[in-house]
Amino acid sequence: MNLNCKDYQHQITLLLYNELDERTRGELEEHLRECGVCKDALELERTMHSVLAEDTAGWDVPSDLLLESRKALADGLDRIENKRSWWRMPAFSVVFTPMRLLESAALITMGLALGVYVSNQQARVGPSVAANPPDSQGSVIPRNGTISNLQVINADPVTGQVELAGEVSQPLRFHGKMEDDTVRQLLFNALRDASNPGSRLKAVEVLSQKPTDESIEEALINALVYDDDAGVRMRALEGLKTFANEQHVQAAFIHTLQNDENAGIRIGAIEALLARNPKDPDLAQKITEATKRDDNPYIRTKVLQFAGSAK
Amino acid sequence: MEAILKRTAQRAHESEDEKFLIEQAQNGDREAFEQLVRRHDRDILRLAFHMLGNREEAREVFQETFLKAYRSLGRFRFESSFYTWIYRIATNVSLDHLRKRQTLKEEISYESDTEMHPDRPALKDTLAATTYYSNPERRLYGKEVGQKIQDALKTLSEKERLVFELRHYQGLRLKMIGEIMGSTEETAKNYLFRATQKLRAYLTNV
Repeated sequence: MNLNCKDYQHQITLLLYNELDERTRGELEEHLRECGVCKDALELERTMHSVLAEDTAGWDVPSDLLLESRKALADGLDRIENKRSWWRMPAFSVVFTPMRLLESAALITMGLALGVYVSNQQARVGPSVAANPPDSQGSVIPRNGTISNLQVINADPVTGQVELAGEVSQPLRFHGKMEDDTVRQLLFNALRDASNPGSRLKAVEVLSQKPTDESIEEALINALVYDDDAGVRMRALEGLKTFANEQHVQAAFIHTLQNDENAGIRIGAIEALLARNPKDPDLAQKITEATKRDDNPYIRTKVLQFAGSAK
Repeated sequence: MEAILKRTAQRAHESEDEKFLIEQAQNGDREAFEQLVRRHDRDILRLAFHMLGNREEAREVFQETFLKAYRSLGRFRFESSFYTWIYRIATNVSLDHLRKRQTLKEEISYESDTEMHPDRPALKDTLAATTYYSNPERRLYGKEVGQKIQDALKTLSEKERLVFELRHYQGLRLKMIGEIMGSTEETAKNYLFRATQKLRAYLTNV
């Protein structure tokens, strides 16, 4: 097949992206030795690549954007799961016949009452005694489980189908080392428990003891950036201090300097950055930028100190 | 040779591992889904950030992509790699956003006729406020070269922009880009060629 210069110039593009097979590449190189026009085209294309390469650093995604996006996604997934939990999950989507509706509702009510009674008894006897759930709850409710927020989702008078929805919770106790995935996952879950700051603080404390794993580091960063409780954020910051020379941890600390309303946490962030990166002029510039409107005189002094030592 | 065998074995292991995660996620295991997300989320965010050029839209595309994946994972049949599948979703979502922006641009253009409405912002100002260059992070890097490249990229069509982004910045092979686009390697080659022609003309003449 005879190729013209336009075909070869098409191949020049592919050559520079390393998308040519050996044979085609050889043929192109041979043509380039003879054709000045295509050789010029190659040079122009190389120039274009070098211009684009000058700006490569500018295309990095800001670390805090990744954190924000992950958090927004987690919230989105929570919303989907919450919707599903009302009526889609098999354990919650229970269909009763009309004949058994009253009987079943009564049995569930009795089960709940019994659950409350047994749990009171348990409190007296001690946590190791397990309650036997009433047989009526069968596969709908797990052993030791309790139901809350029970609602009637749908009751069709024609077919007699009734759909109920609610939440089932079960007591949990687990032993294991920090290296154990289940232990870590439980701790991460505790960190997401918006209603219980005490549990989140405890989880952060435990995770901070051994932040050797990337996922733990990430959980601590999320806690530092997004947790509503200042105690949790402070503890997460302490856990991350030893990593203040890592780029993504620096980004989280700078985010804290810009956004955290708690001056104590901001001071902690600046001190950690100063301790681990005393001679980093780029970082000093970012910190100066992040804190230029900070109303805390101690922080401003620390930033000046940082900027001075980095020079 | 040993290194090649080792890499092949590693890839096979990763692939098996990913298959297992997908199956777990299809059975409703959110943790497995989150592990899958973690494997690809940086790439997807980079793609969204480059294509849309601003943080807010990039975050929206990121979220929309993975939520769509979460909702439709049950229909994933292992006919392509998960990587290709998630990129396909991300590119479609990105293109949708670009099209919506184009519609908005036309509306603003109509409404912000400076003679009719002198108090309204000019189109170029409105768009400038939402571009990649309005970000402080972006301003830290070579302004002039960066601006020139940004202007050059604006001369590309949506598809040319997409293929160029996926090949030049994301480093994907043209064969995979063809699959992501639901098309062929040849089509991807043509778009890349047209994109580089336009960029070359712009960047080497301005």
